[in-house]
Amino acid sequence: MVVAEIIDGGILYGLIAVGAGLATGLAGIGAGVGEQGIGAAVVGVVAEEPGFLGKGLFLMLLPETLIIFGLAVSLILMFAWTPFA
Amino acid sequence: MPVLRLPKFGKPVKYAYITGRVRAMKTKLIPAEMYPRMMSMDISEIARYLEETQYKDEIDALSKDYSGTELIEHATFSNLAKTYRKLGEVAIDEPRFLILEYLRRWDIWNIKTVLRGKFYGASDAEIMKYLVPAGELDVEFLDGLTKKDSIQDVISAFDGTDYASALSQYDGKSLATEENALDKLYYFRMERAVGGTLSVGGGLLLKYVRREIDIRNLITLFRMNRAGVEANIIQDNLIPGGKLHDELSRMAGQPFGEFLRSLEGYPFWSSISDIATADVQEISRIEARLKAYLIRYAWALSNYHPLSILPVLGYMVSKETEVSNIRKIVRGKEAGLPAELIEEQVVVA
Repeated sequence: MVVAEIIDGGILYGLIAVGAGLATGLAGIGAGVGEQGIGAAVVGVVAEEPGFLGKGLFLMLLPETLIIFGLAVSLILMFAWTPFA
Repeated sequence: MPVLRLPKFGKPVKYAYITGRVRAMKTKLIPAEMYPRMMSMDISEIARYLEETQYKDEIDALSKDYSGTELIEHATFSNLAKTYRKLGEVAIDEPRFLILEYLRRWDIWNIKTVLRGKFYGASDAEIMKYLVPAGELDVEFLDGLTKKDSIQDVISAFDGTDYASALSQYDGKSLATEENALDKLYYFRMERAVGGTLSVGGGLLLKYVRREIDIRNLITLFRMNRAGVEANIIQDNLIPGGKLHDELSRMAGQPFGEFLRSLEGYPFWSSISDIATADVQEISRIEARLKAYLIRYAWALSNYHPLSILPVLGYMVSKETEVSNIRKIVRGKEAGLPAELIEEQVVVA
């Protein structure tokens, strides 16, 4: 009875949307924390060795992959798995 | 006394930029395999080789006024000062504070050089040649110091500063007591300033500096024990603050063979065990090995703490050693010393 009310009232969909937002948002914050150190170190190296820019950018973008995981989870939550199907 | 109180979160990030930068700078240092090659070059060839390295700007700028050994000596010291100043400029917060505190050793170096120059009656220009303005005392102040007429005038220029008490020990006959007091002052000030920060980076710097004091004291012991100096005179010359200070103090005045036996088992022993024998002729060979040990120690520590002051410290020590090696080779060649003798003095970590 309660579950039916939650579904009918759209609360579950709202919770799923919040979860999807958190999945991408927290992954973004995590990647940002990871990137701050790498970014600073890469800028330091590139200041001395401009030729390192390509490799440095690649290393800097590695934590970005975490966001893709978060985004994938969000998309699955929002579009692939739904209680309304 | 500056006291740092930094939040713990994000602290290693403050070191990320400077450690990345010094690791890139480390790749530009002259590789160890170049030193034997430099020994087979003549002085003008060494100058040409240095022109292809990080010393290019200095060699180019100074080649109008100097040549040969003078050019290399000027260029290497000028580059050393520029590199150290750059480290102080590009670092921020805690790393900057620690770098500047470490670089005060060049103030001590400069004061000692000016005093020695005045003591032996060297000209202003000659004294300036050996100064490295990488510390707190800038070029203008040092230039003013070299122009002073007497040692007393140089000493009175430091009235009201921390240096005054150490410099007041000058007795007019020898600079040894005063120089020793200046060294002690440097380490005392560092302990006071850096120890007061209670920071992790400061603790790591002090860990290295304590080992450095031990090695300096050990070199003093090697020289003085070999010369048979009395224990109390040796102990007066030891710098306090090292981790092994008490143990090394007890070794002062020991007969040389007994002294060597008591060193067995210490971490630095394996670096010198093959040459530290009772009949060793050249203490400078042992000194070179101990300095190489110190560089390896700094870099080994930095592997445990990659985002800390230690890689910067390792670089600063390596850079200073590089300049000292180049100068040893050039001076040795100029004096016509045999290559083997020069090679023994060169510090290769």
